[in-house]
Amino acid sequence: MRRTFAPGAYRPGATPVHGIDVRVKIVSLLVASAAAFAAPAPRGLAVVAAGLLVALAASGTSPRRVLEALRPALVILGVSLLANGIVLVGQPGISAEGLVRSATAIARIVIVVGLALVFSSTTMPPAIADGMAALMAPLARLGVPVGGLSMAVSVALRFIPLASEEVERIRCAQRARGARLDEGGVIRRLSGWGQVLVPLVVSLFRRADELAAAMEDRCFTGEQTSMRGRLSYGDVAVLLGVVAWSACALLA
Amino acid sequence: MIELHDVGFSYGNADVLRGVSLVVRPGERVVLLGRNGSGKSTLSRLMNGSLLACSGEVVVDGITSAPETRGAIAAAVGYVRQDPRNQIVSPLVRDEVEFGPRNLGLPCEEVRARAEGALAACGLEALRLRMTDELSGGQQQLLSLAGVLAMSPRYLVLDEVGSHLDEAARTAIAGLVRGLMRGGTGVLEVAHGPEALFGASRAVVLEGGRIAWEGRPEDLLRSERALRASGLSDDPLTAPLVELVTRGGMLGESPDPAALADVLTVRDASREGVGRPERHRLSLERASVSYGGLAALDGVTFSCSGVTLLLGASGSGKTTAARVLAGVLAPDEGEASLDGAPVRAGEVGLSFQRPEDQLFADTVLEDLSFAPRMLGLRHREADARARDAAERLGVTEDLLDRSPFELSGGQMRRVALAGVLAAHPRACVLDEPSAGLDAPARRSLRELVSSLAREGVATLVVTHDAAEWLDVADDVVLLAGGRVVARVGAEEAARSPELFRAAGMEPPLLVRARAMAWGERNA
Repeated sequence: MRRTFAPGAYRPGATPVHGIDVRVKIVSLLVASAAAFAAPAPRGLAVVAAGLLVALAASGTSPRRVLEALRPALVILGVSLLANGIVLVGQPGISAEGLVRSATAIARIVIVVGLALVFSSTTMPPAIADGMAALMAPLARLGVPVGGLSMAVSVALRFIPLASEEVERIRCAQRARGARLDEGGVIRRLSGWGQVLVPLVVSLFRRADELAAAMEDRCFTGEQTSMRGRLSYGDVAVLLGVVAWSACALLA
Repeated sequence: MIELHDVGFSYGNADVLRGVSLVVRPGERVVLLGRNGSGKSTLSRLMNGSLLACSGEVVVDGITSAPETRGAIAAAVGYVRQDPRNQIVSPLVRDEVEFGPRNLGLPCEEVRARAEGALAACGLEALRLRMTDELSGGQQQLLSLAGVLAMSPRYLVLDEVGSHLDEAARTAIAGLVRGLMRGGTGVLEVAHGPEALFGASRAVVLEGGRIAWEGRPEDLLRSERALRASGLSDDPLTAPLVELVTRGGMLGESPDPAALADVLTVRDASREGVGRPERHRLSLERASVSYGGLAALDGVTFSCSGVTLLLGASGSGKTTAARVLAGVLAPDEGEASLDGAPVRAGEVGLSFQRPEDQLFADTVLEDLSFAPRMLGLRHREADARARDAAERLGVTEDLLDRSPFELSGGQMRRVALAGVLAAHPRACVLDEPSAGLDAPARRSLRELVSSLAREGVATLVVTHDAAEWLDVADDVVLLAGGRVVARVGAEEAARSPELFRAAGMEPPLLVRARAMAWGERNA
């Protein structure tokens, strides 16, 4: 199996952050991100940054991985820093005020990326889907089929790796029959993809059919026992801590 | 008790089942045999209420199958399918096992307890927090079974559950099922090979939608008609088993190589093969491939001419080796060569477990002539080759103008294989070609491979089913952990269980029996 760790990917582990209830993690992430954008610089921002350091330490994430995650945005961030710092109009030179303003904005982005990384590398995708469903549960009263939606997300998470495996196998089979999928102009390449898509779609429909039957065989009707327990005292404490800390940052 | 009374079923105008009566009692295992298309799957799906009979009735412990009782019947009769990938719903192992009990509306603690129990019964406790797609095929099928067991069904329907699995996984599942039977679970097992007969209470043979034979497993092996109707006479294990029971032996609870050893005739004459026409040679030279830091192949060297079997446990690098040899995967180091020149994609025929995955054209003829056209042949020549290949695989003239997606499963497979052969490749790589086929289809595939070898085509067969292919192979290559563990002649591999164990595999029954017979003879 081809497996590489993308910067935001889940890493198995048993750190304190891994153990926090996913609902608490999602709400904490939202609250902390809002604080990171709204906290006044520099004192409020410093409080938020200190919080990030605690989260990084508690989740066993090295700050280097935050930088790795930022790599794709480095150029833009650098350009924005320069654009804000260099004054060309009027009296050309370097504007300290601009630099500070830009550095503050960049710091906010870095903090939010760091928080998101802590969340995504300690929470499995299925758990994220489950947590979102739990938080959306009140919408069920408005007639939104939350149970069905969360099942759909779960099945999609299950099928994405299967579909990509299938594409890879079909491409191999077509290339072995002499198809040149990566050569020629745009039109030729597109028509080459047609040869991959036709069997792919046929087989995905067949799989979907069979999966639906398999779900019915296991008595799926859309109604399921909810496996979400009550929040533990620890989880509540974490949530209260995050809220208190965000309030501090805003008032600092 | 599951009872079928005079059941008939049809799709549109086509009758699939007619006048079928059958009973499965608690604690017994009934083996359902029959050729592809005989109605086995339909019959098994009637048993758990996912299909409803058009005539007659299906009754499970007093409840008649009907749209209103669908839930009750599905909860009483667990159903495990052939391909685990099409029945696993959840990305996480634990969630998968909890899925069924949650649908039953059980309280949270009960769901947890049942899931833990089922995981433990199937030996999967340690994997509970793994992603389902990281498991091997065998583990996935055990997981499917665990997901059904967590619902505590009183009956189980197993629809060819072993056909995509290796020997070790099949043995594990057979052992689990024996334990369940002792606990009173009634089992209907749809099977396509004689291994299922060991320890079975009864065997039933379907032919053309009717029950053609029913009786004890030993009597099935004595009945020529039953063997023919079930297609079992074309399985390599059948002849020794028939010999065993005609000498008055019993099949027993589970396969016993010692009993089988007494009835085996050991061949030691070397196979014909000298003086074959010019033989092509497909080789792998110090090939290494790694995926994200994990070595899938580590300096693998072997060559293949005639028929070579590539065996190995799941994750041993078989499929990677097959792709490198077919020229569709570039190795990090080393190379694949055909008759001394590097392989280019398109030179070596490649076919996967479900060869029908590669069909895409509007008509069968276009699909068959695709590869020859890609070789630069003109329209007429390409068509002529396509028609030759069609004839060779028994694809009849009237199918050539149809869309490949209108065909039956068996026809699609033949078209797909014909599409590979139409290019007249000098070498072929077949990845799990026999999985899911009935015995007669597997036999004709073996004959096709032998005839390719006689023409000099180098053929590599990648398979988990060594017993099936050992008789037509010349050489065997065993892989483990991305390295070659052994390279031996097929004759030797066929009586050397220790080679299989060295590669981390369970040796097939026939190989163990042959080793014993050979040992006794040379003692």
